[in-house]
Amino acid sequence: MSLASSLFSFRSFRSRLIVFLLALLIPVLGGIFYYVNTNNTEYTEETINSYLELGADVFDYTRDQQALTLQAITNSLTWDFGFRAAFAANDPATLFDAALNVMDRSFDSADMLLITDLDGRVIIDTETQGMDLLEGSWLQLLNAADADEDGHAEMIITIDGLPFQVITVPLYLPRQVAWIVGGFALDQEFVEQVKETTLSEVSIVKLEQMSGSENPDLEVIVSTLTRSDQSLLAEQMLFGDAQLASLQRIRAMSQDYTSLLRRLYGQEGGALQVFAVIQRSYQENSENVVQFRSLLIQFYLLVLVVSLLAVLFLARSIATPLSRLVGVVKKIEEGDYDKSVAVESRDEIGVLADSVNSMARGLAEKEKVRDLLGKVVSHQIAEQLLNNPIELGGEERVATILFSDIRGFTTFCEGLPPKEVLTALNIVLSTISDIVESHQGVVDKYNGDAVMALFGVPIKGEHDTANAMAALMEITQALEEMDSGLSACVGITTGVVVAGNLGSSNRMNYSVIGDTVNLSARLEGLTRLYNVSNIVSEASRDEAPNFAYRELDIVCVAGKSQAVRIFELLGVEGELSDSIKAEVAAYAQALNAYRSQNWEAAEQQFSQLRIKCDNSQLYQVFLDRIEKFKENPPAPDWQGEYVFASK
Amino acid sequence: MVTSNMIFTGSRSTSLHEKGRALLLIAVSSFALCAPLASAQQIVIRLLDDDGTAVRDAVVELLSDSAVAPTSLGMQEAEIDQQNKEFVPTVTTLVAGGSASFPNSDDILHHVYSFSSAKTFDTPLYGSDASSEYREMFDVPGVVEIGCNIHDWMLAYIYVGESGLMAISDEAGEAQLANIPPGEYRLRVWHSRLDAPKNSIEQDIVIAAGGSEAVELTLELARDRRVRRAPSANRKRYR
Repeated sequence: MSLASSLFSFRSFRSRLIVFLLALLIPVLGGIFYYVNTNNTEYTEETINSYLELGADVFDYTRDQQALTLQAITNSLTWDFGFRAAFAANDPATLFDAALNVMDRSFDSADMLLITDLDGRVIIDTETQGMDLLEGSWLQLLNAADADEDGHAEMIITIDGLPFQVITVPLYLPRQVAWIVGGFALDQEFVEQVKETTLSEVSIVKLEQMSGSENPDLEVIVSTLTRSDQSLLAEQMLFGDAQLASLQRIRAMSQDYTSLLRRLYGQEGGALQVFAVIQRSYQENSENVVQFRSLLIQFYLLVLVVSLLAVLFLARSIATPLSRLVGVVKKIEEGDYDKSVAVESRDEIGVLADSVNSMARGLAEKEKVRDLLGKVVSHQIAEQLLNNPIELGGEERVATILFSDIRGFTTFCEGLPPKEVLTALNIVLSTISDIVESHQGVVDKYNGDAVMALFGVPIKGEHDTANAMAALMEITQALEEMDSGLSACVGITTGVVVAGNLGSSNRMNYSVIGDTVNLSARLEGLTRLYNVSNIVSEASRDEAPNFAYRELDIVCVAGKSQAVRIFELLGVEGELSDSIKAEVAAYAQALNAYRSQNWEAAEQQFSQLRIKCDNSQLYQVFLDRIEKFKENPPAPDWQGEYVFASK
Repeated sequence: MVTSNMIFTGSRSTSLHEKGRALLLIAVSSFALCAPLASAQQIVIRLLDDDGTAVRDAVVELLSDSAVAPTSLGMQEAEIDQQNKEFVPTVTTLVAGGSASFPNSDDILHHVYSFSSAKTFDTPLYGSDASSEYREMFDVPGVVEIGCNIHDWMLAYIYVGESGLMAISDEAGEAQLANIPPGEYRLRVWHSRLDAPKNSIEQDIVIAAGGSEAVELTLELARDRRVRRAPSANRKRYR
């Protein structure tokens, strides 16, 4: 059995239904779940990402807005005549105080101010970085401002590791004489402010390439994250130009963050780089996804349970009547046709149950017929009749016909009441019938105490004639053993017969007819004359060579012109006693003399046989004939045959 | 010898060292004295920029070692009007010791000031009714940048010259000087956008007797960053 067929062969209808249901339902439900979940997750991630982009935009916007505010404040400062006068007075200390005043009044919009002349010489610096001449980023800033028509530029510059958003404004007196640089720190206050607007976490991270070390030092300068989450961010986040365009997923202590990177300062691989990291929690947004997923799973479980219950109910509604049907059919198989199935339903199963019931009735009737038929006709003929269309007509077949009669039955019946006669007859006939059937013979008919049996019809066997011989011997022995003074006389012939149904179209019986049948009856009749228990024809003897025979005579029976050699079956070849062998040899010698018309010798030999042997009647038959032939010699072409004029 | 078609280019360098030398150059120049009238000469200096465009509002001055009485030449009194929130004219020459007044022709107040080292002053806010009250003396040669504290874009220059031999280039970029005594001079050209120390360049020049000379100079001008006039300044909302 292949794997597939063994996989899908089920003991019960219920398990097959369940497996098919699951095989159908699970892929469908799984597919729907996968589709919905994927789309939902995708949508949620899109939402998170767009929130995050928004957060980054707000971060930029806040920075821009503060820069504008700073610029406005610084610009106003340049138009203040007092400040102009202070600048013209060329007194840095006064200017420094003026700058501090501005910062104080700026509501934290300005965290630092720096004034430089057009050649980059620092006049004042509220952060007191100790620069005389602008350098590095500051110089870049002023070059950018110088290139701008209005003298505006902005940049992120780190001062003592803290990033500042800085802007420039030219100072006109009334021609430009100086640059004023204002800045505000991107500090904790700033990131908290962005977080308040965007609900996103904001961190500012510094990467410093120390000389001699392979990887840059990474420091989270300010952040709205907790300390532990900050270090997780530092561990997991990748910083570089390649990451600017993509989102990164960071596993924090209690939740995952999707993270977006903004470069604030420096270049890829530069000594100092500052990044802003804007992050948004997955959990916050994926909560409804999780909730939806669990709802979906609950719904699926409900669907599965309901479907399983439905399948079980369905399986039960089919399997229960089916198993009842199976029980009844098994009973029928065993030959019990009395049970009937009680199925109320009007569906296919109901129809099937009705069919089974009527089948059982039909079978019961057929069985009754078969039983009866078996009693009336032989079992084999009954089968033949039941299994083949019954029609008149027959076929030519070679068959062996056994005719049996009971010698001494008339004497046996004398003085007995008819009922007992019938009982005795039935016992004898049953015995003969049983023997015939045990040798694959068929009892054709009973006629008083006579039985006609067929071998080779209706069913041809391999040893039909031998079977007939064996039956003959057994019948003879059985009657002897009954010790009731009865003995069997049997005739057996083999030849072509016509076998078939004889009779009218309404009433017929299976039988055989033909010369062979007639001959068989004649041979049985001749047993009395020759005083032997049986006579078999030459054809029968030839068909069953394993038995011992002796030739009795050549006869022409009544109504037959053809002479027939007849034999007596003595027993099984090789089991004969020496005395019988000697008698058989002497008989053959005497018969030979008789046939060669050597009457004297024949007479002498038969006479000796008559004296010596038991069957004196047989030898007397020949002695009588010799007497007659002496007076009336036979015709010159006589071959030894004896003609019986009457039956 | 008069060199015609001389081309001066100002130094691009803004290094302190070169600036210091330029300052020194101005410091040693002294006022030239008046030359005899009979031998008066005329010189026309044509100023072009890199693109060949005429440069207007540039000041040319001839400096000479021979003393020229400052009071005898050039304008001694100037008037810088304020019309429609602009100074008119934007460039004025004065010989050191001259004065300028700042009448207000507008109907709003102005606050005129200068933080230039040549002259630092500022007026209070004043209107047209006080036009004649504010007059300033300019004693020190140099360029004085005049602004208005209310209107940041208002800008005027007073070129305080050492000699009286000064002229302002017109729309064709030409500055004419007549009646110049022959001799050796230093020609100084100043323009507010001239890309040179102190926005000026100098070159020796010899003025021969008789005839007129024409000199063409190409100036390298720097980009000028100015305060743009506020758009609302043109509206007369407060009238």
